[in-house]
Amino acid sequence: MRSAQAISILAPVLLGIVVLALWQGACRLWHIPPYLMPSPSDIAAALWHDGPALLHALLSTLEVTFAALAAAVIGGVLVAFLLVQSPLIERCLMPYVVIMQVTPIVAIAPLIIILVKTTPVALTLCAALIAIFPVISNTLQGLRSVDPDLAAYFRMYKASRLQTLFRLRVPSALPMFMAGLRIATGLSLVGAVVAEFVAGTGGNSAGLAYEILQSGFQMDIPRMFAALFLITVAGLALYGATAGLQRAVLRHRA
Amino acid sequence: MSDTVLSLDAVEKVFPNGVRGLAPVDLTVRAGEFVSLIGPSGCGKSTLLKLIANLHGPSAGSLRWWGSDFRGVGQKGRRLAFVFQDATLMPWANVGRNVRLPLDLMGVDRASGDARARTALARVGLGHAAERYPAQLSGGMRMRVSIARALVTEPDLLLMDEPFGALDEFTRNRLDEEMARLCYQDGLTTLFVTHALHEAAFLSSNVMVMAAHPGRIHARYAIDRTIVRDEAFRLSERFAEISRELAVLLEAASHESHLAAEMQT
Ligand SMILES: Nc1ncnc2c1ncn2[C@@H]1O[C@H](COP(=O)(O)OP(=O)(O)OP(=O)(O)O)[C@@H](O)[C@H]1O
Ligand SMILES: [Mg+2]
Repeated sequence: MRSAQAISILAPVLLGIVVLALWQGACRLWHIPPYLMPSPSDIAAALWHDGPALLHALLSTLEVTFAALAAAVIGGVLVAFLLVQSPLIERCLMPYVVIMQVTPIVAIAPLIIILVKTTPVALTLCAALIAIFPVISNTLQGLRSVDPDLAAYFRMYKASRLQTLFRLRVPSALPMFMAGLRIATGLSLVGAVVAEFVAGTGGNSAGLAYEILQSGFQMDIPRMFAALFLITVAGLALYGATAGLQRAVLRHRA
Repeated sequence: MSDTVLSLDAVEKVFPNGVRGLAPVDLTVRAGEFVSLIGPSGCGKSTLLKLIANLHGPSAGSLRWWGSDFRGVGQKGRRLAFVFQDATLMPWANVGRNVRLPLDLMGVDRASGDARARTALARVGLGHAAERYPAQLSGGMRMRVSIARALVTEPDLLLMDEPFGALDEFTRNRLDEEMARLCYQDGLTTLFVTHALHEAAFLSSNVMVMAAHPGRIHARYAIDRTIVRDEAFRLSERFAEISRELAVLLEAASHESHLAAEMQT
């Protein structure tokens, strides 16, 4: 058991090291210029050199990410609660929820950026729109996944609407909600980066997407990779955090 | 009669889709009786039990609980409890809080709720497990928790729908013995749905053998209440005799159900 666990950690790490070594070797051997394909050591140097600036940009992107996630969770949960209130409300609203889901938000992002003057708000809105759908659909499905026998039990004891909501529906919805939250967290980051690309905002609140664009214009490819590396690390950290949260919240369930 | 717990008078159930769940059924349950409903699948056992629990209403006929309509239940300490086929516990709550649930819903305060939950758990042999979670329990233990959740309200009538159907033979026999104690020693009136003939033979004071298409009571069979329902009884000649007689009745009920089904098609 322990050794199997060790292998499942060691094997991908080893693979990563081998790939990095091959990459480095190939760049050296064929003298590939860094503006075509930087070697891992070039990227590491760029990361070291531009680290403070890039970290600043990362923080800016993460701000948008978290604001968007909060907005998507609050908005998504509210919409889901609204939808389960009555079949009529659901029939009225559901088509629009679906329309919102099938519309590529990237396509309407420029519109949002024009309409909303404050850039951080516009970025957050775009990212939140990208992240909200899994929250809505998962929470909705969760609120509906109540065990019918348990629901009958609550009715038998004449539970009030509020008791049924907080003692039955909300806890029943939690596993689906947590899965939705996990997806939404990833999408918030994607959304933040995409919105920054579209907005192309520089200045003090420039995000990582802007740094990537700028590095591209300046042919500073190692810096581009370094920025990419930071986004990936941020994504992994977010993924790990939500996975941990999910485990903690659902720890007693089978 | 004063000790009549439940009386059904020509109760029928037709579902909205036109299926006749129950043809007119008459049934009387007296205090202290252990009444089993057995019969082939689809003969309306669950339908009948849900009518009695007032989870749905009859299409015709009348039901009386302690001589009055359902509004009287819950008053004067007259209470029903229902145990489903699955334990239907809340996976997010520990055993103690699961058992306390009906008390919470009834507005009993926390301290006395906890005390009563502990007592109920002790009655089903799970006094030590209040802090554990359903996912950490075996199927038999989960079922015990479900029974404790029913007992915690101190019901005057316990309704059980195939409660032990998913358990292994050994666990099932142990739980049957506990049920027998609850009924014959503590005086808990019980209505018990089962597929298993030997379970009905072991537990019941009265067996209703049901037939299907439409659901109805095909035969009624009474068993001496004074028999001590223990391991020795299970091995006795008397038990074998009861089982044989029930098997004959059940066979006839199944045969009639098949004939009725063919007539319908
Ligand atoms: N809600 C419903 N709507 C329509 N028909 C129903 C409904 N519930 C039950 N029935 C039908 O009524 C009949 C009796 O069903 P019921 O569930 O009471 O049978 P049962 O004796 O409990 O069977 P089992 O042993 O399989 O649990 C069946 O033919 C079933 O299909
Ligand atoms: Mg049934």
